[in-house]
Amino acid sequence: MPYWKLFNRLIVRPLRREPVRTLLAAFAVALGVAVVVGIELAGNAAVGSFRSSLDTLADDADLEITATGGLPADVLAQLTALPHSFRFEPRMEDFAFLPARNRTVPWIGVDFIANAPEQDASPGDSDPADRFRKEQVWVSAGLGYKSGDRIWVLIGDTLSVFIVGGVLSKQPGEVLAADLSLTDHLFRRQGKLDRILVHIPSGRSIAEWEKLLRSALPPGAGVEREGSRTDENRRMLAAFRWNLRVLSYIALIVGAFLIYNTISVSVVRRRAEIGILRALGATRTAVLLGFVGEAACFGLAGALAGIALGRVLAASAIGLIASTVQSLYVSSTPASVELSWEVALLGIGMGIGVAVLSALSPAWEASRAAPLEAMARGRGEHRVQIRKLRGLLAAGLLAAGAWIASMQGAVDGKPLFGYLAALLLIAASAFAIPALVSVLAASAAAWMRRLFGVEALLAARGLAGSLRRTSVLVGALSTAIAMMAAVGIMVGSFRQTVVLWMEDRLQADLYLRPATPGGADRHPVLSPEVADRIAALPEVAAVDRFRAYSIRYGGMPATLGAGDARIAGRYGRRAFLSGAKPQEVFEQLTSTDSVIISEPFANKHGVKAGDILSLPIAGQPVRLRVLDVYYDYSSERGYILMDRSRLLKYLPDPAPSNIAVYLRRDVPLERGRDAIEPVLKGRKVVVLSNRSLREEALRVFDRTFAITYALEAVAVLIAVMGVAGALLALVIDRRREFGLVRFLGGAQAQVRRIILFEAALLGLFANAVGILLGFFLSLLLIFVINKQSFGWTIQFHWPVSVLTGALSLVYLATVTAALYPARVAAQLNPIEVVHEE
Amino acid sequence: MKSSRVLALLLLALISQGAGSDWRVALPGYRYSFPRDYFSHPEFRTEWWYYTGNLQTQSGRCFGFELTFFRHAAGFTEPESVWDVRDVWLAHLALSDIDGGRFFHVERINRSGPGIAGASLKTARVWNGNWQVRWVLDAARPAAFTRQSLEAVSEQFRVHLSLESKKPPVVHGKDGVSQKAEGRGRASHYISLTRLEASGSIAIGGEEFKVEGLAWMDHEFFTHQLAPGQTGWDWLSLQLEDGTDLMLFRLRREDGSIGPYSAGTFVDAVGKTKHLALSRLSLVPEGDVWRSQKTGARYPVAWSISIPELGLAARVRTRLPQQELTSRHSGVGAYWEGAVEITGTRNGRPLHGRGYLEMTGYAAPVKLRAD
Repeated sequence: MPYWKLFNRLIVRPLRREPVRTLLAAFAVALGVAVVVGIELAGNAAVGSFRSSLDTLADDADLEITATGGLPADVLAQLTALPHSFRFEPRMEDFAFLPARNRTVPWIGVDFIANAPEQDASPGDSDPADRFRKEQVWVSAGLGYKSGDRIWVLIGDTLSVFIVGGVLSKQPGEVLAADLSLTDHLFRRQGKLDRILVHIPSGRSIAEWEKLLRSALPPGAGVEREGSRTDENRRMLAAFRWNLRVLSYIALIVGAFLIYNTISVSVVRRRAEIGILRALGATRTAVLLGFVGEAACFGLAGALAGIALGRVLAASAIGLIASTVQSLYVSSTPASVELSWEVALLGIGMGIGVAVLSALSPAWEASRAAPLEAMARGRGEHRVQIRKLRGLLAAGLLAAGAWIASMQGAVDGKPLFGYLAALLLIAASAFAIPALVSVLAASAAAWMRRLFGVEALLAARGLAGSLRRTSVLVGALSTAIAMMAAVGIMVGSFRQTVVLWMEDRLQADLYLRPATPGGADRHPVLSPEVADRIAALPEVAAVDRFRAYSIRYGGMPATLGAGDARIAGRYGRRAFLSGAKPQEVFEQLTSTDSVIISEPFANKHGVKAGDILSLPIAGQPVRLRVLDVYYDYSSERGYILMDRSRLLKYLPDPAPSNIAVYLRRDVPLERGRDAIEPVLKGRKVVVLSNRSLREEALRVFDRTFAITYALEAVAVLIAVMGVAGALLALVIDRRREFGLVRFLGGAQAQVRRIILFEAALLGLFANAVGILLGFFLSLLLIFVINKQSFGWTIQFHWPVSVLTGALSLVYLATVTAALYPARVAAQLNPIEVVHEE
Repeated sequence: MKSSRVLALLLLALISQGAGSDWRVALPGYRYSFPRDYFSHPEFRTEWWYYTGNLQTQSGRCFGFELTFFRHAAGFTEPESVWDVRDVWLAHLALSDIDGGRFFHVERINRSGPGIAGASLKTARVWNGNWQVRWVLDAARPAAFTRQSLEAVSEQFRVHLSLESKKPPVVHGKDGVSQKAEGRGRASHYISLTRLEASGSIAIGGEEFKVEGLAWMDHEFFTHQLAPGQTGWDWLSLQLEDGTDLMLFRLRREDGSIGPYSAGTFVDAVGKTKHLALSRLSLVPEGDVWRSQKTGARYPVAWSISIPELGLAARVRTRLPQQELTSRHSGVGAYWEGAVEITGTRNGRPLHGRGYLEMTGYAAPVKLRAD
């Protein structure tokens, strides 16, 4: 008999006979694959094809010249005098806000005289004499303006109106372009350029031209291949994507448990058939292939459905991912979601791979069974008991492995060993579960009866009796719960840490910032006179002006900031890693060329207190001593902080990015606010009280972690579905048993209760194991994985209410999932069932 | 080439701005002072420096070159930001490989910015990016501005010449102004260095030629020049074997007539000048026409000259008809500017020479009007 015929009869037919169970198993794979595919697609769209939005209008340049804090204009004069046919494109790059479109878009200042961008110029659409007026900006077609339109633009705290001079029809995305002269005035650049793009002449290699340019530049300026900034940002985003990806694989792992369960059930159910087949001469390989094939079918079907579902998931995930990227990392616009062949193949590979891998062990076992033994019932379960001790031993070894792995450092900035440790921990718990469950079930049996009656006893016994299946179910559900609990604990701890940190850090009464939305790499500024006038108010005790610049350090984006160290020393309670007194550190900050750095910066660049940072600022190399490292949770890129007066020496722009206002002690908040109001007349400034600033920060925090919660929810959903499927299988399997119960006088309701009690117990065991495992996983997340990927010190904290809520919900879902199987069991016709045998 | 049109419009807009401001106009009685007047006059709207010349290698291979710097004021106010556009600087660079039958030309446009383009007495140079003319000062005679170094680099070719002035600067026209039309200030201040001994090198692709020859510098600054109805001009600079030089120009009008202020200047071997009014010269096209494929313009590339009081009768011919420069900037438009040869007689004796011919307004009327 050909294999496929055998496969059809042994494997496919039974699947068809139980469509609900088959569908559930395939659906578990589908959801797992959907999450992986969805996150991959959304990740690709949000960051995978990431191009810094400031790279617009920079097509096909070969090299770029940059300097921290901007390039002095004379650099361009020197470069253009070089006796080679370079073509230079000087640029100023910033962001502006379009209130009419509710959008922050890049504003690119270019040399309209020497390198006018391409646009559609239809003669006659406006008088040529109007075309080069100071109030002209050009827009990309995507913004939907046409030549001659008026366009309102918010820059920092100032709303201005411009005339649309032309449409950049070939420019994708959303961008405003204007001449350097206008940009210089609006963004207070004092002539400084952000970048000079270079087109090289032919005749020499790009490396030679690069070298030649470098020798012509001042020491503070650097030459790089065009697009390096995009590459840097991609590198920075890589860690974020990694963690996202890992989270998405949790769902797949949970799915694996369920496939394992399904195939195990399949094997146990067909032991007799396997025995007969083997007795008739089927080889072990044929049996093995049969069951592996079954799994592959689940995998393939699941994967195909999963890819389609993933495409849908991606569409909703992309917004969440993009907003996280925006608030934590870099300004970018997500591309549209596109299903690529690579991702589709990844999905299929993942689906089949996970299914086959998780089926290997039961399939192997089926193929090993001696024909005679297999034909006899009941021994399969017996052997599991003997293995409990072995399982505990394996669990111990794996846990020890996890312990060792957690001690290892990051690999290439990625916490690979941390992930390994997490996997090992999950595996350890999977091995330990049979022993745990048998103990739990045995001890539960006694008090279950006392508390809930004979149905509960039967349920507990039933679970203990089919220990293997119970273990797998508990394993799947507890893994999902553990992941959820771990991430919940991590995020909760992080949140609490941030709350405490803000209490220390935010001491001022009012905070002002321009209405133009800022971001990790965008620091719009307030007009300097706003701060000066507020400082002069009688109600105000002090004003701390803070200025931030987005810079690059060590090939990575970072933030250079400066505040008034005297004021920070007087009011702030910034916590330093060394435990030093803030007053003393700030004192030194004002008197020397020195900086303090944030913890993520220190970790990312391996810098510690006492080191010297050499940082070229505005074309001059500056040496800065690191006084101390401070705790900071506001930026993943990392901060270098100077005293304001020191930074002004190098970058003499007095405009602050935001200001903190300390009111005099006898001035109530509302009066202070009223006093400030007239100063802000005609400007677009956001005034936040201390409390509303904190609330806003937490809102951003929660939004950032929304995607994490969403992924957890999917994993739990898969697990709960798995429980439903497994219970259904259980019911079908134990038809005879339920038939007997009914025969012996059990009511339908009692049968239903048995199933519900089983589900309740399963949920209880899974929660117990899940919380335990989750606790250890959360330690890994907080102290290994987070620390290595992001460099934040998080204080451990139990988010009791969130956990209780989530776990109860899972518990409720588990029991609810048992309703259908319970109904099926209750409706079994006892006569028919007993007849079958 | 959409961007080119944008630029054209842009430049036009720049050029047409600021009319009615307090621009100084070219008036009689202007007191020239050198070296000051070799450099920039920002109080006038438009200013240009033309360097042209005929060069040859030792083996006799002939080349012509042109390097032109234009300044056009966009506004009268002094810039606050280094990037504010006070002047737009346009430059043209052309090389005529006469024996190779090739003509190259490039243009660039810049603002002064942090020193990308300009004309400065302080640094004694006129430049636009890496195209520049630098005066080489003699430590012993700092006031003597006689030597210049001209350097220009393009993707296809480069020119590097040392120029030594053999005659003092010539002021064209009468009483310090070269009148172009009827009316106060419809004129320019126009000076030339008519005999610059040139030596240096030319490179085309990887091929380098050692060259020498004669170059000519024109420097003109003005606020209003052409009057309405004037469409272009034909201009000639001739350097003759007997050591004399001649500049002639003819202003054309819409109706095909010749403007009455067309004129010329004769410079004798020691540098003494003679103003030649239209009535004392004849400059007429001979009928040979070269038609540009690019612009459709028909340029009269052969001319005959007659100046009875000098006893001069000559014909001007070019060996390379395609010396047309097409600008992306409508303010300039397309024009023909190229190396020419002259053959004729002076008082009955045969006379030869070389020079440059410029013909504007054939593709479209020149729009260099300020009002």
